[in-house]
Amino acid sequence: MNNYFRIILALVLFSSCSKKEGKLFEMLPSEESNILFDNELLASKNISILDYLYYYNGGGVALGDINNDGLVDIYFTSNQGKNKLYLNKGNNKFEDISVKAGVESQSDWNAGTVMADVNGDGYLDIYVCAVVGINGFEGQNELFINNKDNTFTESAAQFGLDLDNYSSSAAFFDYDLDGDLDMYLLNHAVHSESSFGNATVRNNRSYESGDKLFRNDNGKFIDVSEQAGIFGGANGYGLGLAVSDFNLDGYPDIYVGNDFHEDDYYYLNNGDGTFTESLKQFFGHTSRFSMGVDVADVNHDGFPDILSLDMLPEDEKVLKSSLGDDNVQMLKMRTEKLGYHYQYTRNMLQLNQAGNHFTETALLSGIAATDWSWSTLFGDYDQDGEQDIFVSNGIPKRPNDLDYVKYYSNDQIKSKISTTKLLDKEALKRMPKGNVTNYVFQGAADLQFKNRSKDWIVNDSIISNGSGYADIDNDGDLDVITNNTNAIASVYINKTDAKASYLKLKLRFTGKNTFGIGAKVISYVGGKKQFKELQTTRGFQSSSEPIIHFGYGKTKQIDSLVVVWPDKTYQTLKKVKTSQTLTIKANKDRKVFDYKTLHPSVSPIFKKLQTGLGIDYTHQENDYVDFLVQKLIPYQRSDRGAATAIGDLNGDGKEDIFFGGSKGKKAVIYFQNTTGFVKKELVEIEKDSIFEDASAVIGDFNNDRRNDLYVSSGGGENAADLEDRLYLNKNNQFLKAALPKIAQNGSVVKAFDYDKDGDLDLFVGNNSINNRFGTLPDCYLLNNNKGVFTIVENKTFQNIGMVTDAVFTDFNKDGKADLIVIGEWMKPTFFANKNGKFTDITATVFPEKSNGLWQSIIPFDIDQDGDQDYLVGNWGMNSKFKASKDFPMKMYYDDFDTNGNYETIVAVEKEGKYHAILGLDELAEQFSGMLKKKFNSYKSFAGKTLEEVFDVKMLEKGKLFEVHNLKSGYLKNDNGKFTFIPFSNKMQVAPITSFVKSNFDSDAKEEVFAAGNYFGVSPFHSRFDGFSGALIKNEKTIYLGNQIGIDLTQKAVRHLDIITFNGKKYMLVTINNKKVEVYEMPSTKK
Amino acid sequence: MKTKIFSLVSIMLLFISCKKNQSIVVTTNEYHAAIDNVTQIMIHDIFSPPVASRIFVYPNIAAYEVMAQNSKTYISLQNQLNGLDSIPKLDSKSGVNQPLAALIAHMELSKQLVFSEEIVDKFRDSLYQKWTDENEEEFIVSKEYGLKVAERIKRWMGKDNYKETRTMSKFSVYANQPGRWQPTPPSYMDAVEPHWGEIRTMVLDSASQFKPKPALPFSLSKNSPFFKEVQEVYDISKEMIVKGDNSEEIKIAQFWDCNPYVSVSQGHMMFAKKKITPGAHWMGIVKIASKKSNADFAKTVFAYTKTSIGIFEGFISCWNEKFKSNVVRPETVINQNIDENWKPLLQTPPFPEYTSGHSVVSMCSASILTSVFGDNFSYTDDTEVQFGLPKRKYRSFDAAAKEAAMSRLYGGIHYKAAIVNGIDHGKTIGEFIEAKLKMIK
Repeated sequence: MNNYFRIILALVLFSSCSKKEGKLFEMLPSEESNILFDNELLASKNISILDYLYYYNGGGVALGDINNDGLVDIYFTSNQGKNKLYLNKGNNKFEDISVKAGVESQSDWNAGTVMADVNGDGYLDIYVCAVVGINGFEGQNELFINNKDNTFTESAAQFGLDLDNYSSSAAFFDYDLDGDLDMYLLNHAVHSESSFGNATVRNNRSYESGDKLFRNDNGKFIDVSEQAGIFGGANGYGLGLAVSDFNLDGYPDIYVGNDFHEDDYYYLNNGDGTFTESLKQFFGHTSRFSMGVDVADVNHDGFPDILSLDMLPEDEKVLKSSLGDDNVQMLKMRTEKLGYHYQYTRNMLQLNQAGNHFTETALLSGIAATDWSWSTLFGDYDQDGEQDIFVSNGIPKRPNDLDYVKYYSNDQIKSKISTTKLLDKEALKRMPKGNVTNYVFQGAADLQFKNRSKDWIVNDSIISNGSGYADIDNDGDLDVITNNTNAIASVYINKTDAKASYLKLKLRFTGKNTFGIGAKVISYVGGKKQFKELQTTRGFQSSSEPIIHFGYGKTKQIDSLVVVWPDKTYQTLKKVKTSQTLTIKANKDRKVFDYKTLHPSVSPIFKKLQTGLGIDYTHQENDYVDFLVQKLIPYQRSDRGAATAIGDLNGDGKEDIFFGGSKGKKAVIYFQNTTGFVKKELVEIEKDSIFEDASAVIGDFNNDRRNDLYVSSGGGENAADLEDRLYLNKNNQFLKAALPKIAQNGSVVKAFDYDKDGDLDLFVGNNSINNRFGTLPDCYLLNNNKGVFTIVENKTFQNIGMVTDAVFTDFNKDGKADLIVIGEWMKPTFFANKNGKFTDITATVFPEKSNGLWQSIIPFDIDQDGDQDYLVGNWGMNSKFKASKDFPMKMYYDDFDTNGNYETIVAVEKEGKYHAILGLDELAEQFSGMLKKKFNSYKSFAGKTLEEVFDVKMLEKGKLFEVHNLKSGYLKNDNGKFTFIPFSNKMQVAPITSFVKSNFDSDAKEEVFAAGNYFGVSPFHSRFDGFSGALIKNEKTIYLGNQIGIDLTQKAVRHLDIITFNGKKYMLVTINNKKVEVYEMPSTKK
Repeated sequence: MKTKIFSLVSIMLLFISCKKNQSIVVTTNEYHAAIDNVTQIMIHDIFSPPVASRIFVYPNIAAYEVMAQNSKTYISLQNQLNGLDSIPKLDSKSGVNQPLAALIAHMELSKQLVFSEEIVDKFRDSLYQKWTDENEEEFIVSKEYGLKVAERIKRWMGKDNYKETRTMSKFSVYANQPGRWQPTPPSYMDAVEPHWGEIRTMVLDSASQFKPKPALPFSLSKNSPFFKEVQEVYDISKEMIVKGDNSEEIKIAQFWDCNPYVSVSQGHMMFAKKKITPGAHWMGIVKIASKKSNADFAKTVFAYTKTSIGIFEGFISCWNEKFKSNVVRPETVINQNIDENWKPLLQTPPFPEYTSGHSVVSMCSASILTSVFGDNFSYTDDTEVQFGLPKRKYRSFDAAAKEAAMSRLYGGIHYKAAIVNGIDHGKTIGEFIEAKLKMIK
């Protein structure tokens, strides 16, 4: 052997070695394990994706110790071949005992599988789901009952579980807490109905496609779906299934992930044998093409959170050449007319807010895009005490490839698709492959997950579908097994080993539920809580080993472990050593568990008043979609109402409320009397309903001791209807008075006597010019001279930016009111008041790069050091927008194609390069000639950088806007200099649009309440609906809504105001396109 | 042997070099091929019917203008079409081969108008090579003139408001207005070309010079004229099911489908069945009629040009009405009020219902073709053979147009009023063009 050869050999060896090892998971070679199972799709069967829409869904895995020898055995389902059972012989050696065990299955198409002790004899049985009745598929769901001698007897009929329908997965659990295991059967629809149809289709039962719930009556499974309130419609594309006691009342609930346009289902167990489907109430939005689902507490609040998978690609090349979300009008129709909920194409992490509602954070958490994903498994793989995530993915052919859909297919398929198989195969060849590597994420602090796919696992191009976790090698850490399409199954051996400590629990319960399915274990170490629930159906079409597994990092001892058994009893273990496997048997004398102890002790600072003190204003947004006119703008302008102003308008000393409506809707005033508020319409104001009221302020502008009203117009719909108005109060008659013409998209108006001449002056902030999103409007300082306003000539207020909010505040402590103005694509801007003249001194007092999409500002000494800090609401991080100082989000603005219309091109950085956020179709709608000629396929466009798509010179000709930061936080005041400090991530789930300061609780200090959410973005961005509102006490102490008795999720809050009624303070919440809400603060210290 | 080959080659070389002085012959077939080429590119690139009409008309006009210069038979359209006030003069002594220059102008403008330019290039380059070989000198002068005319037409074309309409607002869907058009299954596409009525007309003074009768007022009451027409669409589709797949109605509907983008979805699997547009179908008929009547090159270009002007005007006028009345499609009304599972035989195209574009442009084309080739011109239409559909025979252009119009009812995508009034509308426009344009001396 010559040297040259040796080097080559070494290289080959080296590379093949390194190929098999990730830093955390090592692949177990099949030669070593003897696991040769391969879910091969057989060409000979003459079935393809054209015949069966779930042809590429792959098989499942069931993991458990079938012979109670302490070693986990593995069962794989094969779609078209034989299922396999591998007996674990120890030392990672397995024996294929499928034939003698009698578990190969007789069905033509197998899908999911579960191991469960169905007959309660202490041995795991195997249930296999089959798809029967389409494409000539024969067979039935099979139940292999364990004969305790490594053989099984198929007994589905005897148990009543011999279903012959379109099953994808099943879960065995005890929903009625009668001590035996019941079953939820997840079925999937197959009809490729091209029209959506009404959501009520789910009310009609379909045997083949409809999900089913079975109650176990002494070994007979009875279909109780209908009486239990389980939907079984022909549109239930059920692919994901998870059981968990989401609201911690002791009764297991169910989450079902449905593919396509059908909503996911959230079944809350009523505890009386019935369920109430409650998705819309608890979730703001869900994944659209929902696939696998898993559940775990990721944020240590003791409540199970949900991850549902979808198919959003991370890779720009795939992303921009795949079909995307609905357009904005279709989504409107689907939700408002057809009755579906909001669904978007991406993974969704639903954070359980103490059972009250869910806040979705996948974008913020960094796990939204994992391509065509099937199975997700939460597990503490590195045993650091945080939940990690494993995602299996890949598809042999991408049927949603845009070039395929629009260009290729026609040439090949023509009109003969249904008749000629030959043509079909030719057509399939043209469909691009979707072989991608699996993903793994490391759980980190503050709701973050770190993508470790590149180093924790081996990167391959294998397509993995069903997956499960188990401790295959009994070394205490979680190994992962995936069932692969057209490849040998993968066994990921976890090499954490002794690097971190763990606890592995096997539960032994009484009666027929021998493994204690549904039991919860809560572990406490140094005040840190970990919560786990024993459910085996997880991921996708699979079941994991029936164990509870915790990771503890360096911890040697657990303070206490509470085991809550399925029958609502519990037992506690104290001072448990880590890094051991414990079998916990249910004690004889178990105490009854009080589930209330798992719920946070809420001190409800807020209490919603159902009567609302008579304030029953409902803001109604007019039917206008900005994106139909300005197709490329990043978000809407027309949906920022209502305008709210508080003040005494009739001179009776009581605060009244002005609500300014959207375009075409009347403004309304609520006058306060001794019993409450009474609505009154004022003719002079009412007849100006053609204007959309953007902001309003009440004040005595002509010093006649009667309050007047200034209303700023906005909405950006029609340039003719943008004039601001001043209404002067003459004997409670409001008459329009002269005003310098200000006719731009207004956003904020603030009144203050800045020149100390005894009358109220005004700052009028504008956001944009009509249909010129990017041309900066002027802002105005209006000087009041005996009720006559004149514009103060001051260049500093021209072109400030896209202003959203402003505050008069003495930030330099010279006794004069200065001004801070904030807005979108700009930084908080400081104007110092020097003898009545304002000068921009931002560069001196707040030099850092900090353009944001700022929404709101309020002065508040958050660090309690005696000077004024400023809380500033921004866009938040739960967004496809991305910005940093090094890689700002960019927006170019110009009439690039010189047709008289202006365009915006918004781009964000990905791996060091900038890409337009929008795809070819959207961009070409505006730049049709320019782009369609340059890119005559999606492939040629996808992955191209901004500079490759657009001519650099053309871009440079335009105006460039930047955003450096999307986080909300505060401007910390250090001796008159300001630095920005962001809030923690729980405050970054949505834009924060409003603040209000008051003393809300029982201490003597003021707090700030913050609210937000916003829906005016295209479906690609989804909607920002998960912010419940938060009470900010100081830097360290911030309470979310569920801790203080308020829930503003799914509501786009525009204003928060404190109103005083009968000497008591109330909080008024004004919401876009919804009814206002009034809260009392019962514990407020007066 | 070797000498034999050598001498043969020498003879060929001599022959070729002799030919240099002979004029290049451009056949009508080459002009047909150029149009067919554009039609095929449009199938790939996917252009909606109105945009397709624009892609046909300007190249034809450019070709026609070349042919009309110094012609004894044909009159230039200069000052006859809105905004077309000058055409580069042709010096009769310049040696320009007019058919050659006409075809060059046609190809040049077609290239400007489609997306997949490289297919035009490929087609053009092989011709250019051939012509260079045949008579380089003549080719160069002819090309120069052809491109000059193309350039002039391009400038004129640039002011037809097409560019501006690209960025105008999209159609607003109001789900709470049941009579208003809304996107239809399966792809629920946005409305196509809501501002096409704002494209500059050529012969008409404006898109609204001729208006069809008003659409029937929307009503869900069983005895209203509108709802009766809805019911009729539904009943006819049911009758057709009874009659079976070989019924004449089904054949007619399929033959005239002319939908450039039919989306087919089978679960996760989606693809497009693409066909030619109504305009392209009538361009096919022009070809058939030209060939059958042995029309010379100039007459062929004339027939294409006049017909494509009619189609262009027809679409503008029709689209102007569509986006004024915004009538909801039968599929939407039937699904919501009669039968939620009903699907039309043809896929509903993505724009408002009234009037039927196919009816308007077919009738407009037929009346122009009748004026060119005469009435009762019988022919066999093989335009749709490439899509696996049979040939059909017609005794006249009018008969074909009326059948095309009725296909929309059988296809379940239009009410009868849109067809009847569409035919009238198309006829009015066709006759007006006939009366107004002076193209023959």
